Amino acid sequence: MPILEARLVTKKFGGLAAVSDISFDLGEGEILGLIGPNGSGKTTLVNVICGALPRTAGNVRFKGGELMGLPTHEISRLGVSRTFQVVKPFRNLTVLENVMVGALFGKTGGARDLGTARREAEAVLEFVALAHRARAQADGLNVPERKRMELARALAMRPTVLFLDEVMAGLNSAEIDAAVALIKKIRGRGVSLIVIEHVMKAIRSLSDRIMVLFHGEKLTEGPPDDVLNNPEVVAAYLGRRYAERARA
Amino acid sequence: MNGARWLPIAACLLALAVLAMAPAVVSPFMTQFLINLFMLAVLAESWNIVGGFTGYASFGNVAFFGVGAYTTGILLTKSGWPLALALPAAGALAMLFAALVGMPILRLKGHYFAIATLGVAETMREVVYNLEITGAGTGLVMPIARTPLLFFYVMLAILVAATLTNWWLSRSRFGYGLVAIREDEDAAAAMGIHTARYKTLAFALSGAFAGLAGGVFAYWITFIDPDGVFKVTMTIQMIIMAVFGGAGTIFGPLLGALVLASVSELLSTQLVTLAEVFNGLVVILVVLFMPKGLSDVIRRRSFRLRDVARNFREYRI
Repeated sequence: MPILEARLVTKKFGGLAAVSDISFDLGEGEILGLIGPNGSGKTTLVNVICGALPRTAGNVRFKGGELMGLPTHEISRLGVSRTFQVVKPFRNLTVLENVMVGALFGKTGGARDLGTARREAEAVLEFVALAHRARAQADGLNVPERKRMELARALAMRPTVLFLDEVMAGLNSAEIDAAVALIKKIRGRGVSLIVIEHVMKAIRSLSDRIMVLFHGEKLTEGPPDDVLNNPEVVAAYLGRRYAERARA
Repeated sequence: MNGARWLPIAACLLALAVLAMAPAVVSPFMTQFLINLFMLAVLAESWNIVGGFTGYASFGNVAFFGVGAYTTGILLTKSGWPLALALPAAGALAMLFAALVGMPILRLKGHYFAIATLGVAETMREVVYNLEITGAGTGLVMPIARTPLLFFYVMLAILVAATLTNWWLSRSRFGYGLVAIREDEDAAAAMGIHTARYKTLAFALSGAFAGLAGGVFAYWITFIDPDGVFKVTMTIQMIIMAVFGGAGTIFGPLLGALVLASVSELLSTQLVTLAEVFNGLVVILVVLFMPKGLSDVIRRRSFRLRDVARNFREYRI
């Protein structure tokens, strides 16, 4: 049984359908790549599933239980976590304290006292290779470090399902390779992931399956090589004329 | 256990012991000044819970002070309750009032929240003006207390409780939740924090302490009227003290209360208007030169132009 099942999820802003009738399954321990041009509705879909935005229609079941209609904090307590595309650090706290908040809250059954939370946070920072910055104020981190901290906070929440919204944007090639390895390691811990990414090299090597959104609709879904070579996907990303030339 | 860890605790206990013995040594005038100082410090610590830790700039905390003052006032004069019962009732009612008011208005943010809280305080003043049980515009006159030292020790006890509460916030799961809300409410919710509940609890806690302070104030000052206990400037004072000393810290508000109450006491014996000007000047200077408050400057033992310049850049002054 899939761990997460989305059925006909729709989100309209006034008359504009940002996401329409999206259905997909996420298997246990699976990495599902989510791609699509800017404005295709990827982040909106995450916002709706995680409760940050109310849905217009549709259902999302997590371990068989309905998520839609639950407030954000309850969804994260069930074990569904996310990172933000535009990172939202707690600026005046240290990196360690940022991650401690994840350990103190997050999925039900976490640390109740600061000592336990601190130890858990230190372990997570070790895992994402950010332990050397633990005492630094979040404000002073550079872009790759910020992305890592965002990831560390989400991991400290002990998620069952984790949405990663462009955690590789702004990273250089070496950093991307490190991030890919890290995400594989996270999956190795039994976390199921939905990864939104524009970096094709990364998404190809990470994903078990890829789903493509275009203008808020699901264009296609399948194994990475099939999807990325699909002329319609190429057209969506690079324009129809490029796709025709590529085929010729 | 090392010595460095116990040093601050020992220092606090010593300071407390010295304070507790003060009335025996100092003049009655000084004792009155200390009671007033304790009250201001309680109010600053109370504001700090919601303004400093949670990051919601409340401009209406005097409403809780007023609710506490009138609760005690009515119970003492109309129902003949002793202070030992009337005071807890004042704290409890102010707490309940804060929770009920907080639930709707804590959905607002920034300026809107500030304006709403200001409205709550002003509305309460008008309500009290028009009620019979509160003595309307003429106010309430308390029975005379035979033990003036009682106020000193009760106010000191409330201050200790308020300070300990702030200390607890700085090292508890609940406090971390509040700070997370202050730093980024969306991220806090996404991390599993029930933001609405946390904010309401913080508001209620803040209200309880302001209510207790108001309760003691009413009996101590022996006369209360709507303009006296629902003064907007009193909220402003709380904010200035907390921000001047260091919002979101444990001892910042204490420090702010001590410095500002002392200076304004000294100034007001010379020229009343000068005290007001001083308050205004403090706000401007603190915002410009030490946005994290006096306690931050002391803690880092440095006040460099580089920090001021950085502050100018960050806040685009």
